[in-house]
Amino acid sequence: MAATSSTIKKTVTGYALYMGREGHYAFILHRLTGLGTLLFLIIHILDTSTVYFFPSLYEHAIAIYRSTPFMLGEIALVFAVIYHGVNGIRLAIVDLWLPAKWTVKFNRNSVRFSFVLSVLLWTPAAAWMFLSMLKHNFAIDVLAMLGLG
Amino acid sequence: MATRSREITPTFDTIAWRWMRYSGILLIPLAWFHVVLQDVIVGVHAIDINYVALRLANIGWVIYDLFLLGFTFAHGMYGLRQVLFDFVHTERARRNWSVFLFTFWLVVTIIGTIALVKGARPELA
Repeated sequence: MAATSSTIKKTVTGYALYMGREGHYAFILHRLTGLGTLLFLIIHILDTSTVYFFPSLYEHAIAIYRSTPFMLGEIALVFAVIYHGVNGIRLAIVDLWLPAKWTVKFNRNSVRFSFVLSVLLWTPAAAWMFLSMLKHNFAIDVLAMLGLG
Repeated sequence: MATRSREITPTFDTIAWRWMRYSGILLIPLAWFHVVLQDVIVGVHAIDINYVALRLANIGWVIYDLFLLGFTFAHGMYGLRQVLFDFVHTERARRNWSVFLFTFWLVVTIIGTIALVKGARPELA
C-alpha cells in the first residue's frame, strides 16, 4: 500500500509541477473539462430518466437546474464542452491525419489557437445564459431595459 | 521529418484509442447542438416534463438522443478509465476498476435507453 500511495503522490505532483507549458496546460484542462462534463453527464442521464421511471421527481430535478448556483455551473459546463471539443478535434486531426505535425512549435501554437477559439465560441452563449439567469432568477430583464426585449 | 510506422497487433486499447477520436469528432455536432438547443436557445426555465414528452414523441429526436447517449457516455467512461490508469498501476487493480466502470456504464446506459425508448409519462407527474 505504501508503494501505491507514493505512486499517487508522484502522479499528482507530476501533473502539477511538470513544466510543459502550453501542451501541459492543454492536457490538464482537457482532463478537467472531460471529468467535469462526465460528472454532469451521469447526473443528467439519471435525472432525465425520471421522466419515465419516476415522473413526479422530474419537476424537482428541473427546479435544481433553475437555481442560480446550477445556472452558473451550466455556463461553466458550456465552456467545458466547447473547450474539450475544440482541443479534442485538434488532437484527433493531428493524431489521425497529420502525425508529422506533432512538433513542439506546432503544438504550442495550436494550443493557443484552440483556447482563443473556445473563449470566442463560449462568450456569446455564456452572455445569453447569464441574461436568462438575471431575468428568471432576479427579475432583471436586461434586454427589455435596453429596449431590445 | 519522416514519420515512422510499424504494424501493431490490435488490442482493446488500440481500437479504443481510434474510437475516442472518431466518437470525439462525431460528438462535436451531436453534443454541441444538443447543448446550444436545450441550454441556450430553449433554456432550463422552458423545460418541463411536457416538453420532454413532446420531444420524445418524435422518433427523430429519440434516435438523435440514443446516439448522444451511446457515444458521449462511452467516450466519457473510457476517458475516466484512462485518467484512473495514471494512478492505478497494478494489473489486478486495473482489472477491478475496468469491471466496475464497465458495469456502471452498462447499467446507466440501459436506464437511459429504456427512458428514451419508452418516453416521458407526464400523466403520472
